[in-house]
Amino acid sequence: MDIIKIIENTIAAFFGIDAAYFALAAIGLNIQFGYTGLLNFGQSAFMACGAYGLGMTSQYFGVGMWWGILIGLALVVILGLLVGIPTLRLRADYLAIVTIATAEIVRLVVRSVRFKQYFGGSDGINSFSTSFRSLSPFDPGAQYGIRPFQYSGYSLWTMIVGWSLVIIFSSLVYMLMKSPWGRVVKAIREDEDAVRSLGKNVYSYKMQSLIIGGVVGMFSGMIFALDRGSVQPDNYSRDVTFYVLTALVLGGVAKVRGSVIGPMMFWGLYVFSDNFLRELTKDKPFNLFGIGIIQKSQVGPVNYMLIGLGLMLLMTFRPQGVFGSKEEMALDGR
Amino acid sequence: MDADRNYSELAQRTRAALASVNALPGVAKPDPILLAENVRRNFGGVTAVDVQHLEVQRGSITALIGPNGAGKTTLFNLLTGFDTPDTGEWMFDSRNLKKVVAHKTASLGMVRTFQLTKSLTKLSVIENMKLGATHQIGEKWWNGLLPFRYRKQEAIIERRADELLKRFKLDHMRDQYAGTLSGGQRKLLEMARALMTNPRLVMLDEPMAGVNPALKQSLNEHIRGLRDDGMTVLFVEHDMDMVHDVSDWVVVMAEGRIIAEGTPEQISSNPAVIEAYLGTHQGKSLLDEENA
Amino acid sequence: MTDTDNSKSRILALGRAFAIFVAAMFMFSAPGIAHAADSENTIIVSVQNQANNNGVSEKKPVVGVKISVANLTGLAIGEGVTDSSGSVIIPVPGKDDYVVTLDVASLPSGVTLIEGTKTVVNIVKDAFTTNAKRVTFFAGTSGESGASLFDRVAQRLVDGVRLGLIIAICSVGLSLIFGTTGLTNFAHGEMVTFGGLMAFWFNVLLGVPLLIAAPVVIALGGLLGLAMNGIIFAKLRKRGIGLISQLVVSVGLSIMLRNMYLYQFGGRTRPLDDYSLQVAKHFGPVSITIRDLSTTIISFIVLMCVAGYLQRSRTGKAIRAVSDNPSLASSTGIDTQKIIRIVWFAGGALAAMGGLFRGLDEQVGFEMGAGLIFLMFAGITLGGLGSAYGALVGGFLVGLLVELASLVVPAELKNAPALLILIIVLVVRPQGILGRKQRVG
Repeated sequence: MDIIKIIENTIAAFFGIDAAYFALAAIGLNIQFGYTGLLNFGQSAFMACGAYGLGMTSQYFGVGMWWGILIGLALVVILGLLVGIPTLRLRADYLAIVTIATAEIVRLVVRSVRFKQYFGGSDGINSFSTSFRSLSPFDPGAQYGIRPFQYSGYSLWTMIVGWSLVIIFSSLVYMLMKSPWGRVVKAIREDEDAVRSLGKNVYSYKMQSLIIGGVVGMFSGMIFALDRGSVQPDNYSRDVTFYVLTALVLGGVAKVRGSVIGPMMFWGLYVFSDNFLRELTKDKPFNLFGIGIIQKSQVGPVNYMLIGLGLMLLMTFRPQGVFGSKEEMALDGR
Repeated sequence: MDADRNYSELAQRTRAALASVNALPGVAKPDPILLAENVRRNFGGVTAVDVQHLEVQRGSITALIGPNGAGKTTLFNLLTGFDTPDTGEWMFDSRNLKKVVAHKTASLGMVRTFQLTKSLTKLSVIENMKLGATHQIGEKWWNGLLPFRYRKQEAIIERRADELLKRFKLDHMRDQYAGTLSGGQRKLLEMARALMTNPRLVMLDEPMAGVNPALKQSLNEHIRGLRDDGMTVLFVEHDMDMVHDVSDWVVVMAEGRIIAEGTPEQISSNPAVIEAYLGTHQGKSLLDEENA
Repeated sequence: MTDTDNSKSRILALGRAFAIFVAAMFMFSAPGIAHAADSENTIIVSVQNQANNNGVSEKKPVVGVKISVANLTGLAIGEGVTDSSGSVIIPVPGKDDYVVTLDVASLPSGVTLIEGTKTVVNIVKDAFTTNAKRVTFFAGTSGESGASLFDRVAQRLVDGVRLGLIIAICSVGLSLIFGTTGLTNFAHGEMVTFGGLMAFWFNVLLGVPLLIAAPVVIALGGLLGLAMNGIIFAKLRKRGIGLISQLVVSVGLSIMLRNMYLYQFGGRTRPLDDYSLQVAKHFGPVSITIRDLSTTIISFIVLMCVAGYLQRSRTGKAIRAVSDNPSLASSTGIDTQKIIRIVWFAGGALAAMGGLFRGLDEQVGFEMGAGLIFLMFAGITLGGLGSAYGALVGGFLVGLLVELASLVVPAELKNAPALLILIIVLVVRPQGILGRKQRVG
């Protein structure tokens, strides 16, 4: 078993682009769910807005890449209103149901043959990142870094941009939550009627929270697409939202640190587990009591099973995650 | 009992105005701040509220009493927009409130507290208070991102909050989570927080419930203080001592209807009221009061 | 409870959870179900003929089509010919960029690809979200062919009734679980899939005739429901864990179960053995197989029985009482915990039945229930969350509407109208057709 490789990959995962785009998605989800208590199970749809907004600039509109941000913003606002208007006056469960349905529909639409000319169908969109590439001060062909952590010029560029965005947005969110706006939103999570009785328009704040969280998620989708150089519909499935949620809960809801460190830990653990299991089953299936329970091809599903189990255990035994405070949770009736 | 109390100027004028009012259910008042007409609410066949006419005198402390299930809290919910009646019209300060939602009525100056205290346990006491202030610049999200825009106003709000906390004797707990406060302290906090909105009408739903007797006297003082500051107070209570002690006017509800109105003295000798309470009273009974 | 007691009980609980997890992995370690095909990375190419009779997408496979896969430099990686199911599996060395080419000359006579279909498809490395990347080529004329509007509507109605009944069966449990415990169970789709997979296990792997296996499958589904409640949700309720947190736990459960199914069953869909290859019979403008007709009739009978049970029997009435108003019901002496257990058992059993029927109708796959879950949500929202009859009515209507909508909406987006229904209901009448208003705001 190549332990060195496992450790190298794990450490790289902590700082990799995957952790970065997850962190952005988690920061957004944290605003909605962690601070305001909105069950947005459609964060992946907001991410798709960003990715496709970017992709459509070249595929459909034929304009420069920067327009993608505006297009993405427009899509996020439309989506947020579509989802929020029917549900934000009702129980939290309804938002969960509608957002999960929306995420699925968005995926089906961008994947469809019918709208292929806009969204590229199941092939996705593959050529829009040239202006982004040209901004990079690094030579795309060359390798940077020290062994064993080496990255191509382009990867390094997206990592730097990605993590810079994480720092920027987490600071913004931190300030926002310390402000009176943040105070109202945190109060809404606990008791909407109390906030209403003080003259605040609860519905409006929830909508703002939903859309702002969606905007941050939009940037997550953009970074992801830019790193991969392509926009693929199946990468924005509803499961992605659940994994981001798991990462967020791991780090600690309603804590800015949690929304950044959680995804880093999530990816570290995931890559570790993935590499470990692959090494374990490299030559022959992993046996327990004489029965081969894990074969090489099954490592993926087993890993995801562990994520699901992890989420269940977290919510049951340590809902405050790593950085949350037990007292805050103890005062929680939810 | 009344003789040795000093009433403020405002209080005296209000009480004088009420003295001329007949003790009849649904009677008109000289200067009503709140006026309700034909307000009805049905819950699956049960009539929870059926108020033909109700007026609340501006600047008074009016008590709303009645046995459990009389519809008092439901009436609160209907008047403040937390529930929608089947029929009815009501006005606050000559402004029609039909179809006005809960948060709007609060911002118009009509604030209410809840039977089951809604102090926000995960915020600190001072944060709870600051939440109550109205027209906060920092509550707009774009301003939230720019601290320098709301810092000054925030400091002013905080000063006012601290003053109120001192008045309610909660200042030493200002930085603790509201969840660590006792039941009675939370009631005080909810009341103090409501005052941050600068209301004109304060509607308290059972402010005495669960409060230890030592605190009850000071609570009465606070309520009188509200009236002296020019606010109107409408409160629901079961504690007859308190009602008798502090109110200028009493409205009695039973089975959704108003069955009597009058000064505390008139009410305690009203046979209809006594009958409504026989066998269902809480706290001291009016009869005991008489014989004491 | 002292701190040490607390942490001890936690470790115990954690240990128990882990033991169950490992046991579950064993339970399904049946002799290699699907692994051979899914080892390594593959590209699965499928050629389907959409030329249909009156809009019934019969998805007739096109056999014998030559497919070749090359990498970006043109080096040939592999090639193959589509088999009797219209698919060919081409192993590839890894997740990378490839070019898939369909040899038009190898298409059988009379079969042409849909106008505008490219015969050369580029696949990027990132397209491999699992180990296998699927590419489908559609032949035939796109859209409906020749049948009159009346014929098409009639066919859709029949399909809609079939789908609607299945959704109704699957969602009764979901609605009742919400009504009695307040939990929105996001793992309900996996209970449906469980039925389908168990049917496959008995029928295909163990060779048991479906008629005998069916009651066993349904009973097992009920047991799964009991287990989910007993092992997980009842414990959570006892610990005082809030409903939102329970909802998130059900999400985690859904992920875990779905991947457990993937791990055991593999990524492809497979048909059941019995009754799977049938020719559609024509009844006037409508065509349907005997199998589908039977499942439709059985579904209808089952639903009527469920409705009757809820209406007439003592337990049924108790269930409705608890679902409508749990606190009121318990104050009248009903044992709510027992009712909850019955609801989970019945919900699980019905879901498994729905999965079984669905597996006959379409094929069995690890995601079959997950695909249905938000149709189920749309159904119970339309009918009224918490109302048993609401689930029946709402589920049925959603199925009907979705099939009818496919007259105007492309088949791949068939489920989109369900979302529209959901949104309209929540805006116009959030409590649904039969729900109570207080449950909602």
